[in-house]
Amino acid sequence: MTDRASPARVPTPEARASGVRPWYGYGLGLRTEHFDPVLDGNPAVDWFEIISENFMVAGGKPRHYLDRIRARYPLAMHGVSLSIGSSDPFDTGYLRQLKQLVREVDPIWVSDHLCWTGNGGINSHDLLPLPYTEEAIVHVTSRIDEVQDFLGRELLIENVSTYVSFANAEMDEAAFLSEIVRRSGCRILLDVNNIYVSSRNHGFDADAYVAALPAERIWQIHLAGHSDYGDYVIDTHDHPVCEAVWELYARTLERVGPVTTMIERDDAIPPLVDLVAELGRARRIGEAARHLMPVECA
Amino acid sequence: MTSLDTLERRFLAHVRGGQVFPREWCAQGLVDSDIGLAIYTNAYALRLREALEADHPLLALYLGDRLWAELCAGYIEAHPSQVRSLRHFGAHAPVWLTGNKPFSDHPAIGELAAFERELLDVFDAADAARVDWSVMQSFDTAAWPGVRLQFHPSVRLLATATNAVAIWRALKDGLSPPEAQRSTMPAHLLWRDVDRVSRFRAVDEVEQLALRSFLSDRQDFAIVCERLARIRAANEVPALALGLLRQWFDEGLIVSAASQDASRST
Repeated sequence: MTDRASPARVPTPEARASGVRPWYGYGLGLRTEHFDPVLDGNPAVDWFEIISENFMVAGGKPRHYLDRIRARYPLAMHGVSLSIGSSDPFDTGYLRQLKQLVREVDPIWVSDHLCWTGNGGINSHDLLPLPYTEEAIVHVTSRIDEVQDFLGRELLIENVSTYVSFANAEMDEAAFLSEIVRRSGCRILLDVNNIYVSSRNHGFDADAYVAALPAERIWQIHLAGHSDYGDYVIDTHDHPVCEAVWELYARTLERVGPVTTMIERDDAIPPLVDLVAELGRARRIGEAARHLMPVECA
Repeated sequence: MTSLDTLERRFLAHVRGGQVFPREWCAQGLVDSDIGLAIYTNAYALRLREALEADHPLLALYLGDRLWAELCAGYIEAHPSQVRSLRHFGAHAPVWLTGNKPFSDHPAIGELAAFERELLDVFDAADAARVDWSVMQSFDTAAWPGVRLQFHPSVRLLATATNAVAIWRALKDGLSPPEAQRSTMPAHLLWRDVDRVSRFRAVDEVEQLALRSFLSDRQDFAIVCERLARIRAANEVPALALGLLRQWFDEGLIVSAASQDASRST
């Protein structure tokens, strides 16, 4: 196993077109276990991503640490409860809390998932799969519009890992995501691990998935680990990024150009220094791709 | 064609262990749809159980695996999440435990849950600057009867009929918990100190009455003293009340004091 990425070759036209995307470098998900190590150690991390819902509290330690870390690092806000694909009306209280947190954090951007989390007023707290239909596109697009208007800023929408797909699908996932992005004007948070997990579960070509997306719309990449059960793969965020995902990440950057990247870890969380070391590999792969084309520095 | 709403409703029902999702609505990928659906079903229950355990680690320890699993299954069924953050999913657990057997047969269980939830609320309550005793010294003597206090947003007063807090303390310290029994103290006071450390202590009936009068009933110092005089000799009340006030200021519980009888306030 090598720790070096394959050198980027000739950038594709999509990659050249992506030179306008903002560039924030290489980040990590900010987790409670790392609050003190971040403040005490000033780790070599370019930015952090917070889970928005974890900071929708009035005060105390969560907000204390958030304020201090925000003073030192750019932050992105990543939500898990927007439920953009749900047939339920939006939870207006949640949206107000989200907007308030956006005001307070002033994040580099705000993201959530292309999924639904609940129906009939009941929240599963899981990222549930959408059918890839025109009906769902129209529904999700109008809801993204609504949220973007309410927040006064663009959303980044993330592809999720899925374990079930539906018989009424009218297109594949990449076409579904691309069409929503085209109609709504939102950006893509491309989770490379999720592409890998879903490609294993559903038998599609992960590289073809990436190739089908509008590259200039990809503003952020997620990397994460998963649990491989042989016949299927579950997105668990409790392992280091696996070799196959690193390789897909390198090929993705070759295709779409340099993209602000971070690693998510939500379980079996190692010491911060280990995650910073893992992020170093993303940095090496990303820098190899980045030298090929200029990007707009934020 | 299945509408989006119907698909979501039926999918969630399946995930929650209810009506089965029609297999013919699933496309067959490399993973069998039965396995795919089971992944979501397992994740649903696991995630909610983990949320309850994160909020109630010592209650889970106290109950043991079998009763804890019974609690989780019953609560998840009775109170499916209607909140956006898992932080609040277990909010109904203390009340649910007082109304559902076998837990309701043991009042200490519900109180242990209530204590752990109060600790959660203390942990992330709003921040506020505290004031010290000099605020009270700045009032004219004539203004004292009209003094009302505003407590720090983290301050909670929990009535305790059992020794649930002693059970919690023993479990926290890795000791065998005492037998559940009636409490010798009627309430516990919880708050977050200036260093953002959550604290608690038992309060007797006098302090409970004073706290309830100031904190919940928003009464002034004169009314609080009148109430205390019902359970203590009248000549003891002024010193008693002053002592409590001084202690609360010293503990950082007070964020402002104001009197209707004087212009001086903070």
